[in-house]
Amino acid sequence: MTRHLTLALCLVLAAPSVAPGQAPISPRDSARHVLNRLGYGASPGEVDAIAREGVRPWIDRQLAVRSPGDPALASRERGYEVLQTSARDMVAMHTDQIAKALKAQTGAADSMQRMQAQRALREQRSAGGKKELRDLNAELASVTLLRAVDSGHQLAEVLADFWTNHFNVFIGKGFDRAYFADHLEHTIRPNIFARFEDLLLATARSPAMLFYLDNVESVADGTDLMAMAAAERGRRAPVNARGLAGRGNRPAMARGGQTAGRRVDPALMDKIQQRMPKGINENYARELMELHTLGVDGGYTQADVGNVARILTGWGMDRRSNFEFRFSSAVHDRGAKTVLGVEFPAGHGEDEGVRLLKLLAAQPATLHHISSELCARFVADDPPDGCIDDAVRAWKQSNGDLREVMRAIIYSPDFWAAANIQSKVKTPLEFVVSAVRAVAGEPDSTPRLAQQLTRLGEPLFQMTTPNGYPEAQTDWVNSGALLARMNFAVALAAGRLPGVRVDLDRVLPLATSHEALVDAVNANVLGGGMSPRTRETILRELADIANPRDARALAVGLALGGPEFQRQ
Amino acid sequence: MTISRRAFLHAGGLAMVSFGADPLFLDRAAYALGDLRRGIAGRKTLVCLFQRGAVDGLSMIVPAGDRWYWQERQRIALPKEQLISLDGMFALHPRLAPLKPLWDRNALAIVHAVGSPSTTRSHFDAQDYLESGTPDRKSTPDGWANRYCSHAREHTETPFRAVAFGPQLPRTLAGSAPALAIDDLRTFGMRAARAEGEQRLTRAFESLYEGAATGLVASSSAEGFEAIRMLKAADPTARPPANGAVYPRGKLGTSMQQIAQLIKADLGMQVAFADVGGWDTHVNQGADQGQLATRLDELGGSLGAFTTDLGEKMRDVVVVTMSEFGRTVKENGTGGTDHGHGTAMMILGGDVRGGKVYGRWPTLAPEARYEGRDLAVTSDFRTVLSEILTGHLGSADIASIFPGFTPEQRLGIFG
Repeated sequence: MTRHLTLALCLVLAAPSVAPGQAPISPRDSARHVLNRLGYGASPGEVDAIAREGVRPWIDRQLAVRSPGDPALASRERGYEVLQTSARDMVAMHTDQIAKALKAQTGAADSMQRMQAQRALREQRSAGGKKELRDLNAELASVTLLRAVDSGHQLAEVLADFWTNHFNVFIGKGFDRAYFADHLEHTIRPNIFARFEDLLLATARSPAMLFYLDNVESVADGTDLMAMAAAERGRRAPVNARGLAGRGNRPAMARGGQTAGRRVDPALMDKIQQRMPKGINENYARELMELHTLGVDGGYTQADVGNVARILTGWGMDRRSNFEFRFSSAVHDRGAKTVLGVEFPAGHGEDEGVRLLKLLAAQPATLHHISSELCARFVADDPPDGCIDDAVRAWKQSNGDLREVMRAIIYSPDFWAAANIQSKVKTPLEFVVSAVRAVAGEPDSTPRLAQQLTRLGEPLFQMTTPNGYPEAQTDWVNSGALLARMNFAVALAAGRLPGVRVDLDRVLPLATSHEALVDAVNANVLGGGMSPRTRETILRELADIANPRDARALAVGLALGGPEFQRQ
Repeated sequence: MTISRRAFLHAGGLAMVSFGADPLFLDRAAYALGDLRRGIAGRKTLVCLFQRGAVDGLSMIVPAGDRWYWQERQRIALPKEQLISLDGMFALHPRLAPLKPLWDRNALAIVHAVGSPSTTRSHFDAQDYLESGTPDRKSTPDGWANRYCSHAREHTETPFRAVAFGPQLPRTLAGSAPALAIDDLRTFGMRAARAEGEQRLTRAFESLYEGAATGLVASSSAEGFEAIRMLKAADPTARPPANGAVYPRGKLGTSMQQIAQLIKADLGMQVAFADVGGWDTHVNQGADQGQLATRLDELGGSLGAFTTDLGEKMRDVVVVTMSEFGRTVKENGTGGTDHGHGTAMMILGGDVRGGKVYGRWPTLAPEARYEGRDLAVTSDFRTVLSEILTGHLGSADIASIFPGFTPEQRLGIFG
C-alpha cells in the first residue's frame, strides 16, 4: 500500500513526473485521464482547472461522496415524475394497463380490430395528459443521462452505471416496468460505496431482480399454491357462502370452480392452475453465481445451482400491499442443502439465504471476479494482474468496502501506466455523454437524447440478458457503429441533435482564422488530445468554408466524430 | 493485423475508385462494381441465424414419437392435433408451418440432438464456444466464420463478404478478416442535409480515420467507407420483395429482407449473420400459444418470406439456425424449461439433402439423458457446420476453421 501511495503521489503531485520505467505524464494528461476514466470526460475548461489544482484533490473529493446524488442537481431532478413515483403506484399503473388492454381486446373479432382498440386506448390515455408507465421509464433514462452529463459526482455516476450493468435487469420484462425505477434509485445507487455484501443482499431482495431472474416463481418442489390460497381463505373466512373453503387439503377452486360464492370460469381456473409454480426455477441461482459473484469458472457445480435455488425459495415480494421484499416460508424448501461444500442445515428459513449470500460475497473467486471487472472498466479491457491484486488486497483489508476497492484501483500503478492511457474505446454511453459534456450541451427532459443512445446500440436499462452490456472495444467497434458515432457528432455540433441544447458561443467564441479555430477546438473540446494529422485534415476540410459558424460546427463535429475522441 | 487488413482492402478491385467531389464517382463505382460482379459470379452465400438464449429444440422440432416427451411435459407439450408431422417420429411446431413446403420439396434438413461437447450450462460461455468454434477454449481470438473468410480469401475482395445485421459484430464474425456490422441498410452511411454535405463528411472522416486511427478502429472505419461507396452504386434497398413475399414486422423480418437485398445486389456476400433473441423460456413458455410460439412465429414467417423472396436464387443460398444449447427435457416448476444440453438445427436451401432429420436420436428416456436431465448430444455442431462449409461454400480447410476438432462420422447433409 505504501509503495502505491508514494508512486501515485509522485505521479500526480509532481509535474511532470516519471513513474519507474515510464514516460512522464503531464498534469493536463493526468487531468484528462481521470476525467475520462473516473467520469464521463471533460467539460470545457475542466482539464485546465484540475491540472492547476492537481488531480489528487479531485480524486479524493470524488471518493468522499456520501450519496451519489449531487445536491446541485436536486431541483432539476424534481422535474422528473418517475423519481417521485413509488413502486406501488407503478405496479398499479401496470396492472391497470393490462386490465384495460384485456378489456379492449375482448370482443375484438380479429387482430385488426384488436390493434384499433389498442390504439384508441393509447390515444385516450395520452389525451388525458397522464403519464403512462412507459413515459415514466423514458424519464428514468433521461434523468440518468442528465446526471451523467451534469453531476459533479462524476465517479458516483460512473459507478452507478457499472453496478446497474453488473446486476443487470431488463426494464422491459413484465412487472420490471414497474419495479425497475425503484431498483435503480433504492437498490443500486445508495450502495455504490457500500460493502459488496450489502449491495449483493440489496439486489437479492430487490423485487426487480426477483422478478427478472424468476426467483419470485421459484417454490419448493411439490408446492400447491392453489391449495395454500384456499386454506388461507378458509382461515380468514371459516365459513363462506357455500361452505367450500377451508375443508381438507384439496384446493376449493380446483374442485368446484367456485370461490367465496363467486362463480369462476372453470377453463380460466384450469389455466391459472396450469401456470402456478410447482417447483424450483434455477435461473437466479445460476446467474447469482456465474455473473453476480463467483464468475463462471468460480468452482460451483450443477448440484450447487440446484441447492442455491432451493435455499432461495421463498425470496419474493409482498404482492398485496407495498410490493417490497418478503420472505414466504410457506413456499420455502425446508430440506437440508449443501453449497460449495458448506452445509445449510434444514429449517433455517430466510437466514439460509442471508448466510448463502454472505458466503458467496466473501469467496476468493468473487473478489477476483469483481475486481477484474472493475479493472476492465477503469484501467484496460484486458485487466492487468497488478490492478486486480491491488483491488483484491484492499477488498480483504476493508472487508469488501467498495470505496476502498475503488481507491486501490485508482492509485494502482496500472491506472497510471502510459500504456493504459487513451487505450480504451468509449462505449456508446461514454461517447454520447462525453460528447455532450465536451460542448457543454444541456440535455432536455424529453426522451430524445436517450433515443440517440438506442441508435448507437446501448439503450439504457434495455439489455435483455443478465450479463449486461459488454465493456471491451471488440464488442463495440465496427463499421456501422463508427459511422453512427460520426453522424451523432456532426448533428450535435451543428445543434441539430434532438434532445440536447448546444450553444457553441459559450464554448468557442468565433475565431479570426481557421488555425485559431482548430487550436481552440483542440484545447476546449478535445482537452488537448488532437493529433497533428487530425489538425491538418480538419484545416483542409475547412479551407473552402467562409461562414465562421459553419466552419466552427464542422470543426467540432469532425473532432467529436474523429478517432481521438473515440478513445479514453 | 491492421496493416494486412488495410493492405488487403486496397488490393481489392474498388480501391482505385476515388471518392468525394468527383462527379464521375458514381460512374466509376458502378464500373468497379461490374468488375467485382464478374469476379464473384456464382458466389454462394451462407446465412447464419443465431437463436440467442437457448431455444427449446424439443418444442421447435418435436420428438412426437418419443413417449417421454409427453410424459415429462404435461403443461407445455404441444397439442397432438396441431403438430405438423415430418417423418412419423418428428414434427414441426405449428408456428413453423411456413417451413413445411420446404420440407416437402426436400429443401429443409434438420439435425436433432446436436450441440457442443462442452458441459457448460452458461449461456455466455456456450455462445462463446459456438461462435469461436472451439468448445471449452476461451482464448480463441476469432470466430469460425471469420476464419473461413481468412482462409478462403479470393482475388476479388469486397467489404460485403461477411455481414452481420445488428449494432454489434458477433463473435462468429470477429477476427482478422474484414466483416461489416450493419444495423439497418437504409441508414448505413453519413447523413447530411444535402448530397454534397454527405460527400464532404464522408471524405473528411475517411481521411481523419486514415490519418489518426489505430487498431480495430482503423480497420473497421476503412471497411465502413468502402461499403458506403458500394451501397451508393448498387442501391440494394430499392429492391422490393419478389414473388409476393411478405416479411413479418420486427427486427428479424427486416434483417432477412435486407440480407435478401444484398444477395440480389450481387455484392459478393458469402456469410450473413443475424441474431434472434427471446428463447430463454424459464417461465410459462407456452405450447401452441405463448412466448415461445410467438418467437417461432417470427422465425417461421421470416424464413418463409426469405425463401419465397429469393425464389430460384435459393440454390446459391443456405440458411442454418443455431443456438447455444437446448433446454431440460422435463418442464420446470414454473411452466418453463431450464438450461439443457442438446438441441436442433435447421439447414435450408442450396443443395441440401432435405426432407430428413439427421443425427442419432438418443431418446428422452431418463437413462439416455445427459446428466440424467437433458437431451444428449449425438452430433457435434462443428460436423454440421463443416458439411455446410464444404458442401455449400466449397471450403477445403476445415482443420483451420475448427482447430482441434476431429471430425466424426459424416451426416451427409449435402451428400
